[in-house]
Amino acid sequence: MTGHSDSSSSEKKSNEEMNDVPVFSAENMQNNMKVIYYSRTFMSIIGGVIAGILGFTGFMGFVFYFLVMTITSIGLIAKAKFSVHLYVDSWNRIILDGFMGGLMSFVLFWTFAYDIVHIF
Amino acid sequence: MAEDLVLDTAIRDWVLIPLSVVMVLIGILRYFVSKLMRSSQVPDPKIVKEGQVIVRARNLRAAANFIPPKSFRSRRVYFSNEENGLLFVPKGQAQNAQAQMFSDPNMAMDMMKKNLSMIIPQTLTFAWVNFFFSGFVAAKIPFPLTQRFRSMLQNGIDLSTVDVSYVSSRSWYFLNLFGLRGLFSLILGEENATDDTQRMMQMSGFGFDPSKQCATCYCAATIFCASDFCAAWVPDSYRNFSQCFSQDHQSLGAEKDGLDIVQHEWALPKFEHRAEAVLRKLTM
Repeated sequence: MTGHSDSSSSEKKSNEEMNDVPVFSAENMQNNMKVIYYSRTFMSIIGGVIAGILGFTGFMGFVFYFLVMTITSIGLIAKAKFSVHLYVDSWNRIILDGFMGGLMSFVLFWTFAYDIVHIF
Repeated sequence: MAEDLVLDTAIRDWVLIPLSVVMVLIGILRYFVSKLMRSSQVPDPKIVKEGQVIVRARNLRAAANFIPPKSFRSRRVYFSNEENGLLFVPKGQAQNAQAQMFSDPNMAMDMMKKNLSMIIPQTLTFAWVNFFFSGFVAAKIPFPLTQRFRSMLQNGIDLSTVDVSYVSSRSWYFLNLFGLRGLFSLILGEENATDDTQRMMQMSGFGFDPSKQCATCYCAATIFCASDFCAAWVPDSYRNFSQCFSQDHQSLGAEKDGLDIVQHEWALPKFEHRAEAVLRKLTM
């Protein structure tokens, strides 16, 4: 996925001046939000395939989804070198944003992989 | 009572995979067709002007603390004074603009085209799925659901003792419909079904990221699509469309109010203290 490999290296600093009054470059912040969204979507698809192959059913699958989302959040925070305020305007954006958005993709690919590997 | 059904491999080869592949291809096709069919519309200068005025006012509000108080006040008066302020719109005019927008034939035509380009592939695919792939168990969803979902998920299967996890191909179609949005946003680069909201933004001259509105509008649109394929959906979308537009024209008044509210607090004096602190740290 060229989109993913390019985007992960282009998170831009959106808060250049460390002022009392924080200044945000809106364009960079939009780009960062897009990167976060793409990362989460990609991870939820991969997580769905993994969950299907490993044969998770029911509740375990959703627990796995939250695990994957948490790993994505930690990865994004690590990529931002733990100074999250340089890149997005609040912690909530990088942790919670798009959490539920990947759920449908996860369920689709989970069902697909599970059926192909275990049922058929 | 959950017995494990053994399903034929042919179902996987000839139902699941082809259906997914067809939906992905139709999505890509629809994206390119809508790109080709997009008529380049000459934007109305009045609308663009209003949009740019709003952007200016918004910038002023955002950066108010970086200019001296007096210049901020003079700019604010330029925007919001009663006689010839740019943002001041007498009540009668605002209503007229909104009604005019709604009955403009060009715009209605474009909206219609966008809606149709979204409804028609979905309707056709749904009819195709129903015709060819009905009457058998297509897949097993890995999580259990209650009995109430049975009628929704197992429409072709008339046995009532089969576990609700075993679903028909119609539910596989719906699962694909919702789940492939994420995939499309990855491979096609941007949310492709929300081109209409982006164009509305373009026409009203906002330099504004519609990504949040993209998500909500798209969710609303797909929920409408999935639940009701008939023409009842189209009047709903017209209502949404006119609401979006009336918001754009009321936003002149909203911007004026926002600008009036702003308390100016000049941030620059503090910069001298900060510069002093930095220099001290450097020379120590």
